[in-house]
Amino acid sequence: MSLSATSPLGTGPAAKAPRAQTAGRQEARWVATVAVLLVALLAYFCIAVPDFRDLGVSGILGLSEQFLFTGLIALGEALVILTGEIDLSTGAMSSLSGIVMAALWQQGINIWLAVVLALIISALGGAINGLFVTRFGIASLLVTLGTQFIFGSVATAVGGNAPPYNFPKAFVRLAGTGSVGPIPNELISFAVIAVVVWLLVARTRYGRGLVLIGYNRAAARYAGVNVQRTLFSSFVICGVLAGAAGIFVSGYYNAARDDIGNSLLLPAITVVVLGGVDIFGGKGRMSGVILAVFLLGFLDQGLLIRGNSSLTATMVEGIVLVLCLMLKIALDRRAGVRLKESLQRRFGSARRAAVLPDT
Amino acid sequence: MPLLLVRNKGLRSQGPAATRGHPDRASGGDVDRRPRVGTPRVGTRYEGRSLTKSFDGATVLSQVDITFAPGEVHSVVGENGAGKSTLLKIMAGIYQPDSGQLVLGEERVGGLSPRSAQQLGVYLVPQEPALMQSLSVTENLFVGILRRGRLHFNVDWRSMKQEASAYLDRVGLDVDPEVRAEELSIAQQQLVECARALVHRCTVIYFDEPTSPLTAKEAGTLFEVMKNLRADGYTLGFISHRLDEVLAISDRVTVLRDGKRVSTALRSEVEGPSLVKAMVGRELTGRERVRPPFDATGRKEMLAVEDLTSEPSFAGVSFSVREGEVLGLAGLVGSGRTEIAETIFGLRPSDRGTVRLEGRRLEHRSPRACIDAGLVYLPEDRARHGIFADVEVERNVTAGVIPHLARYGPLVKPVAERDLAKQATDRTGVRMASLDTLIKALSGGNQQRAMLSRWLLAAPKVAIFDEPTRGVDVGAKDDIYHLVAQLAEGGLACVFISSELSELAITCDRVIAMYEGHVVGELSGAEVTDANLGSLIVGAHTI
Amino acid sequence: MTTLPTPAAAPASSGGPIALAGRFGDIVLGLLRRREVQLIVAILGLFAICSALHPQFGVPSNIAFILADSVTIMLVSVGQTIVVLGRGIDLSVSPILGIAAVSIGFPATASHLNIWLALLIALVIGVGLGIGNGVLVSVIGIPPIIATLATLTIYGGVQFIICGGYSVINVPAVYTNFGIATLLPGIPWLIVIGIGIVVLAYLFLTRTVTGRSVYAVGNNAEAAFRAGIPVRRILFTTYVICGLLAGLAGFIYLCQIGSATSTSGSDGNTNLYSIAAALIGGTTLIGGRGGPIGSALGAVFLSEALQAMISFRVNELWDPAGVGVLILIAVVADRQGSPVRHVLRRPFRQPAEVAK
Repeated sequence: MSLSATSPLGTGPAAKAPRAQTAGRQEARWVATVAVLLVALLAYFCIAVPDFRDLGVSGILGLSEQFLFTGLIALGEALVILTGEIDLSTGAMSSLSGIVMAALWQQGINIWLAVVLALIISALGGAINGLFVTRFGIASLLVTLGTQFIFGSVATAVGGNAPPYNFPKAFVRLAGTGSVGPIPNELISFAVIAVVVWLLVARTRYGRGLVLIGYNRAAARYAGVNVQRTLFSSFVICGVLAGAAGIFVSGYYNAARDDIGNSLLLPAITVVVLGGVDIFGGKGRMSGVILAVFLLGFLDQGLLIRGNSSLTATMVEGIVLVLCLMLKIALDRRAGVRLKESLQRRFGSARRAAVLPDT
Repeated sequence: MPLLLVRNKGLRSQGPAATRGHPDRASGGDVDRRPRVGTPRVGTRYEGRSLTKSFDGATVLSQVDITFAPGEVHSVVGENGAGKSTLLKIMAGIYQPDSGQLVLGEERVGGLSPRSAQQLGVYLVPQEPALMQSLSVTENLFVGILRRGRLHFNVDWRSMKQEASAYLDRVGLDVDPEVRAEELSIAQQQLVECARALVHRCTVIYFDEPTSPLTAKEAGTLFEVMKNLRADGYTLGFISHRLDEVLAISDRVTVLRDGKRVSTALRSEVEGPSLVKAMVGRELTGRERVRPPFDATGRKEMLAVEDLTSEPSFAGVSFSVREGEVLGLAGLVGSGRTEIAETIFGLRPSDRGTVRLEGRRLEHRSPRACIDAGLVYLPEDRARHGIFADVEVERNVTAGVIPHLARYGPLVKPVAERDLAKQATDRTGVRMASLDTLIKALSGGNQQRAMLSRWLLAAPKVAIFDEPTRGVDVGAKDDIYHLVAQLAEGGLACVFISSELSELAITCDRVIAMYEGHVVGELSGAEVTDANLGSLIVGAHTI
Repeated sequence: MTTLPTPAAAPASSGGPIALAGRFGDIVLGLLRRREVQLIVAILGLFAICSALHPQFGVPSNIAFILADSVTIMLVSVGQTIVVLGRGIDLSVSPILGIAAVSIGFPATASHLNIWLALLIALVIGVGLGIGNGVLVSVIGIPPIIATLATLTIYGGVQFIICGGYSVINVPAVYTNFGIATLLPGIPWLIVIGIGIVVLAYLFLTRTVTGRSVYAVGNNAEAAFRAGIPVRRILFTTYVICGLLAGLAGFIYLCQIGSATSTSGSDGNTNLYSIAAALIGGTTLIGGRGGPIGSALGAVFLSEALQAMISFRVNELWDPAGVGVLILIAVVADRQGSPVRHVLRRPFRQPAEVAK
């Protein structure tokens, strides 16, 4: 797609083998970069924005309640992007799940049972995406572009004119605004889920296959990885995590929101990319994604506290994304070499190819 | 130089329609904006002087001198890995030589790219046509040099279409220039590539194994075209694995062996056996087998394939392999060898037939099920189907046994994984900085050793090795032969697929030969020789 | 000299009436296989059904409405098509449209900005923002989906800042009159402009060297590079053209709606509808296939389908679902009908071939 990915210079025996480099080192370096940026950001806000400093530790931790649902979506999205696919329907899925849960509860079903049912619906939604991608072999970008619209419409339809609100206290406390000491419940839930997903990718057989599919799908198949099943389940997990995010949104606002979808999708993808996951699959670590959730989230919240509007904050996020990508390209020596080579090839070779005098 | 004469002959043979398509008359006037310097007329000599090239430290071409003369088909022959393809790619600007010179006509050219080589008149028709599938034939012919109309930025389709038909006529291709490339057969696309060379006014045209995806009849058409071009004074280079083709079309033959030029001779001075001898570098019976004769008594039948069919690739294939036996599968590219292996391994569906492992029938085969049952497959195309280029050696090696990495509980134990990878790579002798090295930084031979390590970890009972020495340098080849022999000694039943007859002769106990999707013969024991195999795989022709 | 017949040409070789009928059938079948023809049939078919079932559907004013309504998406989707043909994607078209609309909307209401000057400003803004995308994708080398995702948020913020909390309302009549003026009853001026742009885009893509290069790059960037096509410059150009058309769409949006806000463009899913129209029109995201006429027809079809849903009192909230279903139908149809499958015969598709 991008020239650097398709240019004839990156692959083939003609490319010089780089000196002993390791994928792990490159990825670890990016995770460290994100961590440093996060610390620097928090330090900046603490020094430069008095209102932010005055929140104290518990207040700052409490801010995370505002962006952790984005983080949950990002975790699922990261799984799908690691395989080289993408899921654009996650935002709509969050809306749908929150609404379904609320509607079921309004019909008199126990709230916890409603949560489980909503998660099952989300899994089914993910399964539909996965089915189109694996069974019909359609690019996930197209499939999820379509299902995004469908899920969104269904959410609005189920929600009706006045989406339900005012859920039972126990639910709101657990999924929304409660806390243990200074630590919000939502942060605890996120931490648990994040650790599970991190282990899933880094340390399980499933994660191993997932990442290999992202690097080279054909080779993964030849090595005995069940490509179809792994891809399918990555969409299902992504759906479930998006559904969970929708439930946390409902808990946090104490109301079902059918309008939240699109506003969650783009930040989630931004987080994944910022976390160092290659949009073409394979490369990237979940630890980077988890750190990026906080980097982007605190950036957003800090700017809001500083008095910027939410759209300005979003704009700054976009700029940060571009800057980080440029930094990453610069850090990634290999990519740097490739770019230089391709420029050289393009502008240099035609001239160099001029006929030399016979010697 | 009898240039004029030759050209007139060309015109006569083509008739009036083709004259428009002639390179020198193609599109008179101002349309050609390419540099005048070095643009050759028909009849250019193109010479490579002491060309040397190495990839990742392995020398694939060493001090090769070669001259391609006008009005001549000059074939380059040699075993796989002898450097034929590399040589032509250097001539065509796709690779840069590490040292050496290219001389076109009287002038030295350097720093070629595929683009600048085309501008100078050198074109390589690739083995697999690389056309832009959704564009019309006309556009494919002219891409990069689209004729501009009076407004300069607009495309003059009308003149291009006319020219296109003339050029297509010239290569004997009777298709509508308006159809999309994807609607053509591979053979037709090959001819379009050929016509493309003419459109670009290239007069030095190389053919890199053009016939391997073609049927014999289609290849015949291509040869007609080549003969016509030769008659018109074009400078042609040709690579083929089929010696009968080489002998039929060539005027001059150069033999390469292990990256060095062994000989260059006129066609009239060579014959089949002498060529084969020059290619493999010894008497046909000379080289020693890497293992003692195989004794089948008391050995269990491990893999039994019966009537396996997958149209149109192959049909009715049956064979079996015993414990500790190495069975060769010989055949040209496109004879169905790889397809058979992939079908056995569950990568392709089969129309009918059975596969039994130790007498137990494998149904609903998938790579995973096969690996778990003890059958592994080392793929032919290492870059695409084998390695994960951007992944460390360790994970590449353990990729085939992921389900076994976490025996107790759900998590993979990094220490245990490292141990496994270390044992396996030690066994095959992978040379690398550490297990954390990215596999793409290794040489071809070491990559292949790592791939073998992957499958050793699966503790297989049957292994299918598909061209295990492709893209591997000579020293590593020997290691791989000995490794296979050693594995067989340990009881592994091996299927060894190769298009290099000599390596089949030294490693295999028994060889079955494939031709166009069918088993055409079986040789065992002392019958397994290059010469016997050679006559079988070209469809019972004698070399 | 031996010749190889085309597989398709082989059956209809001998003369006679039967062969003639066969050839006619071939031509009809060939036409029906073209997405443009399928869409025209679908548009007319849907129109016939709706007119039969609903008395008000077939009246000229409704036709005019459907056509005029499709123009904004049509323009944006033509731009999107050009980007997609080069194997890219532009997610930032909606804020480009929005920025163009508000930047001319404020001076238009405050100081009666000349309408032609406004048009020029909108186009310049579109080009400028398109250049931004082009730089990120073709110079810096960020994958298009990520680069334009970033500019989507950045441009969205810019639009918000320009508005500064206000909205454009009460646009002067000279603008809104232009938005509703008709050439003939049932044929609004806007659709004439839309068709004009589509024809220009068609001519650009089929008759100019740059346009053909877009197809070549989208088909196979490496081969295009080897053939001497300036790949980066071509990619850059596609984003600039896309920006230009989105800017024009912003101008038309303002004339049509008569107001603009800080979320204009984004709130109507312009991004996704423009991609949807291109997909329905037969342009594939892997690049090199499709064209602007299909996309324009796709936009008209979308507009007609949505209007039909309104006519039959389907709740507006199902609109996106309708679009989603149409996308899925279109891509499944592509998958089934594509001849690439027979040619490639790969056991598995490479992930890198999938446009992202």
